Amino acid sequence: MLAQLIVSGVAVGCVYALIALGMTILFRSTTIVNFCHGEFFMLGAFAVLVPLQTLGWGYGWCILFSLSLLFVVGMAVERGLMRPLQHAPHISLAMMTVALSYLFKGVARFFYGREVVALPPLLAGDPVFFGDVVLTPQDMLIMGVVLVVVVASYLFFQKTEIGKVVEAASETPRGASLSGINVPLLRNLMWGAGATMGALAGILIAPNTLVYPDMGGHMLVRGFAAMTLGGFGSLPGAVVGGITLGVVENLAGGYVSSALVEITAYVVIIIVLLIRPQGLLGNWRRARV
Amino acid sequence: MSEPHKKNRLLWLVAFALLLVLPLAVNNYVQFVVNTMLVYSLAAIGFNVVIGYLGQLAFANAAFFGIGAYAAGLSMAHLGLPYPLALVAAAVVGGLAGALVGLPALRVRGYYLAIVTLAFGELMRWMYVHADSVTYGASGFNVPQVVLFGRGLNETGKYYVFLLVTLLGLGATRFLVKSRIGRAFVAVRNNEAAAASTGVAVLRTKVVAFAWSGLIVGLAGGLYALLNGRVSPDTFGLSQMLMHFAIVMIGGLGSLAGSIIGAVLLTGAPELLRNFPGLEEIVFSLLLMAVLFLMPRGIGGLIADRIPGARERLYQE
Repeated sequence: MLAQLIVSGVAVGCVYALIALGMTILFRSTTIVNFCHGEFFMLGAFAVLVPLQTLGWGYGWCILFSLSLLFVVGMAVERGLMRPLQHAPHISLAMMTVALSYLFKGVARFFYGREVVALPPLLAGDPVFFGDVVLTPQDMLIMGVVLVVVVASYLFFQKTEIGKVVEAASETPRGASLSGINVPLLRNLMWGAGATMGALAGILIAPNTLVYPDMGGHMLVRGFAAMTLGGFGSLPGAVVGGITLGVVENLAGGYVSSALVEITAYVVIIIVLLIRPQGLLGNWRRARV
Repeated sequence: MSEPHKKNRLLWLVAFALLLVLPLAVNNYVQFVVNTMLVYSLAAIGFNVVIGYLGQLAFANAAFFGIGAYAAGLSMAHLGLPYPLALVAAAVVGGLAGALVGLPALRVRGYYLAIVTLAFGELMRWMYVHADSVTYGASGFNVPQVVLFGRGLNETGKYYVFLLVTLLGLGATRFLVKSRIGRAFVAVRNNEAAAASTGVAVLRTKVVAFAWSGLIVGLAGGLYALLNGRVSPDTFGLSQMLMHFAIVMIGGLGSLAGSIIGAVLLTGAPELLRNFPGLEEIVFSLLLMAVLFLMPRGIGGLIADRIPGARERLYQE
């Protein structure tokens, strides 16, 4: 039972980690907390669903389409809406992401009303047994994909030249521009990357849950909780925080009460911020507001 | 008394008289919309104390709103309190909740505070669902009818109750923010260290602002319970919070007049589009974006720039 709960928790936690990773990349490159990340997640799932249902494309093409579309959307949002406001107070930037979240939800609702649809599983097949632990192929796929993304981002940020440039640009934007780094371009790309990660999370989890305009709200909070737990603004923290949150949620649900699952994220946020605001891996850095 | 003062006073009197006779001119539905505007105005005024005057990014407003609504509704349902006393209960419980939420604000700030206060709101919502022996659980409950002179209160009756309470709340808040205490809010917002060095008790000031904000918003929640006659947990979630945030941002941070203008605009506009799913949200978001691009200090700020007499004294960047 314990092993099963932990393993399923890791599978869910991987999705949270992906969400938190996308939000952290945005936060680091622009110091914006993105309240519309849940909508990137939702749009990602819809961008698979729509061509799949109406145009009859293959699943793989739909996923490719969705990821590229969200990359473009992320960049367009940065260029069109965030950059013109970059000297505005932070609260205005936060409000802009809130406005965007309304816009995306509104567009989705306009076409899909109160319909709730499911995506077919990406990997069909029977659950696999490892001793007492059962895993669905979908869960394994989620863990695999997230592992790949995490390793790839680690390599990108730690080992490649351009990754280090991105890091430099998020640490001290002014210094980076002075040494000839095109900071706006990097921000633009990071918005694209963040949105794509959100979309990927949406695509991965949509077969397990359902696709509907309001599906992002829950995830946004899970992302916040994962970031807070791991350490706000820390990339490894986002991953560790996400997976830990998934496991804690599952354990609380399994051993105490299933009613606790939905509230775990909030309790985690409150406890962490009051006791150890820097989180598990972060260093205490004040957000500019 | 000088001439412009006299003219201003006359204008206010005319406006007040118009408000008093408004129910004669509108039908039941419009009256309901106007009532909604009043309730949201009060909620926005309370929110502005913390986010505009004190400058803290605290997102517990929907929680205070819900706490007020539950306090009023439950005290009527369980204890049989008459509505005015239930409103007092809503204000008191809201104020206590405000002081409680003010405590973490002493330790965390910025986005951290935003997130911890959002979490508090969701925690409250979870409690409404799971403490069902008291709160009637996920489906909520009907608020007992308010009877006045042997008859149930109709929309017009509610209007006068809301108008009275909202004007009282507005007046008291206006008095507070213009007083020494209110100036301390603004001093803390602008620079905590500087405020402390000039003798402002920063911690106490923060707790007072939060408690006052909770009190006013709790009161607004008490009104909300009467407005809809029904209180249920899902009303007080993230979307309620974002609605209040949008009202205050559009109206203008640190502007009481702006709070009211924002509430009127944002509760009015969606009503017109109620029958088109999604359109309501799209218009809402475009409105927000337009304000952010064109008038970064909200409509209240715009008015303050254009009309010298309308400038609210503490309003600044």
